[in-house]
Amino acid sequence: MSELLQRDDFQIEISKELVFFYLDCREDSPVYEAVEEEWEELQEEAFRLLRPQAIVVLDQCERSYGRKDLQESSQVIYVFQTIGKELGQMGARLFAQGDTFGGMMVDAMADAAFSSLAVQVEEWVRKICRDKGIGIRRRLEAAHELPMEAQQWIMEKTQADIRLGVRVSSGYMYDPVKSSGCILVTTKETELFHYQHNCRNCDRKDCKMRNIQPITIKVKGEPDQEIICTGEESILEALVRGNEAYTFPCGGRGVCGKCRIQLLEGELAETPEDQRFFTEEERKEGYRLACCAYPAEDVVIRFCGEKEEEFEVLAEAEPELERTNVRKKAAPYYIAVDMGTTTLAVSLTESKTRKTLQVYTAINRQRKFGADVISRIQASCEGKGEELQQTIREDLAEGIQQVLEMAGIKEEEVGVISIAGNTTMGHLLMGLSCETLGVTPFTPVDISMRELSFQEVFGDQSLHIPVLLLPGISTYVGADITAGMFYCGFAEEDRTSVLIDLGTNGEMAIGNKERILVTSTAAGPAFEGGNISWGIGSVPGAISDVVIEEGNVELTTIGEKTPAGICGTGAIAIMAELLKQEWVDETGLLDEEYFDDGFPIATAESGEQIVFTQKDVREMQLAIAAVRAGLETLLLRYGTDYEGVDRVFLAGGFGYKMNLEKAAATGLLPKELLGKIEAVGNSALGGAKEAVLQEGAKEKLEQLCRISQEVSLSADKDFNNFYMEYMMFE
Amino acid sequence: MAIIEEISEFLQKGRAKNVKTLVQQALDEGQDPKVILNEGLLSGMMVIGEKFKNNEVFVPEVLVAARAMNAGITILEPKLVEIGNEPVGVAVIGTVKGDLHDIGKNLVTMMLKGAGFEVHDIGIDVETEAFIDKAEEVNADLICMSALLTTTMPNMQVVIDALKEKGLRDKYIVMVGGAPVNESFAEQIGADYYTPDAATCAEVAKKAVLERKGQ
Repeated sequence: MSELLQRDDFQIEISKELVFFYLDCREDSPVYEAVEEEWEELQEEAFRLLRPQAIVVLDQCERSYGRKDLQESSQVIYVFQTIGKELGQMGARLFAQGDTFGGMMVDAMADAAFSSLAVQVEEWVRKICRDKGIGIRRRLEAAHELPMEAQQWIMEKTQADIRLGVRVSSGYMYDPVKSSGCILVTTKETELFHYQHNCRNCDRKDCKMRNIQPITIKVKGEPDQEIICTGEESILEALVRGNEAYTFPCGGRGVCGKCRIQLLEGELAETPEDQRFFTEEERKEGYRLACCAYPAEDVVIRFCGEKEEEFEVLAEAEPELERTNVRKKAAPYYIAVDMGTTTLAVSLTESKTRKTLQVYTAINRQRKFGADVISRIQASCEGKGEELQQTIREDLAEGIQQVLEMAGIKEEEVGVISIAGNTTMGHLLMGLSCETLGVTPFTPVDISMRELSFQEVFGDQSLHIPVLLLPGISTYVGADITAGMFYCGFAEEDRTSVLIDLGTNGEMAIGNKERILVTSTAAGPAFEGGNISWGIGSVPGAISDVVIEEGNVELTTIGEKTPAGICGTGAIAIMAELLKQEWVDETGLLDEEYFDDGFPIATAESGEQIVFTQKDVREMQLAIAAVRAGLETLLLRYGTDYEGVDRVFLAGGFGYKMNLEKAAATGLLPKELLGKIEAVGNSALGGAKEAVLQEGAKEKLEQLCRISQEVSLSADKDFNNFYMEYMMFE
Repeated sequence: MAIIEEISEFLQKGRAKNVKTLVQQALDEGQDPKVILNEGLLSGMMVIGEKFKNNEVFVPEVLVAARAMNAGITILEPKLVEIGNEPVGVAVIGTVKGDLHDIGKNLVTMMLKGAGFEVHDIGIDVETEAFIDKAEEVNADLICMSALLTTTMPNMQVVIDALKEKGLRDKYIVMVGGAPVNESFAEQIGADYYTPDAATCAEVAKKAVLERKGQ
């Protein structure tokens, strides 16, 4: 009951846009006109030489190539299509004449024509399927789903050799080259039509024609959840984008083995990582690592790993600076909140003793919308504002309830909840539009100090404690920095202080009670482990310090766990040690010995080498230069030098754990300031706390904002000069 | 010297007509054809190749520049023959047996010419013997093989093994390339070099040949 259908009446086109796209020729290219001339000259002849043909054969499946889906399939469809050999010959002729330009143009035209043919063949097959009452479960092609030999089999089954004069080379390649053959696995489910060529299994990531079809991941649970996997995502990435915070200490590199899933329906190829972490039996039962699983089709899975992250959250502000201005009419307790992009910290303080009784820390669940503020702004602008608001409201309310419960304190005894966060987090919490935050001139909607009811901030009346939102300075320098400056005494001091908060955006301030300059510099995610080959956040197992002595590498990891990766402070330490050993030269070039495979740091639990590569050095180089150049520009604009700076405060967990000498050795901080630097920990939380404990704090916070002027670095010539200068390690 | 620099500049912009005119003018002025070739045409092409490698320009810019170079060389060629100019080296290039892909190979041919090589392109689906016979015939320095299929990649090794058998392996520098090929595969089959793109190939080829000749 084999049936063969042949057609040659396709109306195919050669799209100019597509040809130019394949050629990588954009309209702003200086040679655009020359390319356009070539196009005009060749297109007519090229079009004339098109000989589109396609053959479709419906038949039983005779060869299964060891595939389960083919073994189980009673009927398959063979499809062969070609644009003929004439156009290819034209291209070959041009190449032979030494006209590489013309040859490339014709080749791109042939690709565009082939793509147009493919669309029409798809429509044709769709109609055939409809007529026969069948669906398409999967498309199989050499060399990914089928072995190359299948090319010959498809040619013979469709009689393309006899009917179209196609032949196959000894390497199983079709001649004419612009031809293709595939086998379609059919199904009785008529609504299925998974016809498109599947690029997922292909390694050629830079292919101009790459086109990844979206698929659905169904996660069994309570309730079931469906996630659309669009780009080239692993299941883990899709899950993280989905709805929960999943544990992946190694950053999804197949190293920690934490993101276990079980495949319930569909297919997921076994990876070397799966073989390392699961027994053969487990793999047969469908166990896989989500971070290494790239689904090629719809799957149903169950998540078996842990869902809670173990980020180390710094909730302490140290050292306890001396405070004289104690609030006179104080409530017995206050709550302070640091609302960070990655982590959240909530503390409960007793007014009388100024002691922090309880601290609650958590991961900001908004991370599922993106790790940095930019991606949150994007998500908010794409209509996810309400969801973002709900998430942060729930997270904070949970923390507040928790500290109350843990301390056994009633809400009536709490005076105020004081909240400090960056401008984006502030907008998201209050449900303000983030549209203006992401575009010039980067105007925030509202960053003033606000005293609101619990209902106004959290949208419900589960509690009734008044809320104080601390004021910010600009879109880039938010209430967390104002709080930090307040905590470090900027509002009272005559001496000149500097505050540096190191993160994705390095925010900085310089000044005293008279005048303050602030800025923020785009350091990128390197200090948080991002873009570093083995980079991870401050999670257990993260290498946080390194000493190299006489060729031996000594490590410190967070929680003294087996090394899982390198966090920001670790990366700084490695940079400093490599510079000391002169294995990285002043231009940032890694020693030849380590250039290709990176400098070996440690062995991970999996047996893999944790290395620091040339690319990592470059990432750090950029991040370091951005921060240092920001600081230097700020000093210059303020009209002072290192001598004129009295104190330097390093805020944030990164600054807290960083080895200052090593940071100075990399050029991140000036050596000249070493004696004046103090790590102050979570100064945003400290500032939020002081804002409610001190008398007259509100006025001082507003004063701080009033006298603060922002320095924009993006077009600053001095910044650019400094940036280039501090790119070098000297 | 200004005119030589101008030739290089126009070549980089892909202005075939200007290059042609200027090469003729330079010849009329009595400039050394070798200088026009090396410091005008080829050095301009090298700049473009370097920019291509660094993603500063894309394929079309390279193609247009190569076309301008060819225009210049057409004018220059009779003179070069007259004075007996030696190319940087001689290369034999082809796509291995069973493989009909030719685009990548053609780009490499173009870039090798741009680096001053005499290139013998022996086409696609090339038999093992054909690589060796051609190389022997033209007294090549370099054998370049391309393969775009996992099924045809092993044929690169077949050629190398045949060279060894004939005791000719050390006579030639063997370079391999193509989408599925990588450094470790090249090493495994005993090739001398693998390069990821056409511009790098030309650069590495030139360096390797000059090094060998220097010895």
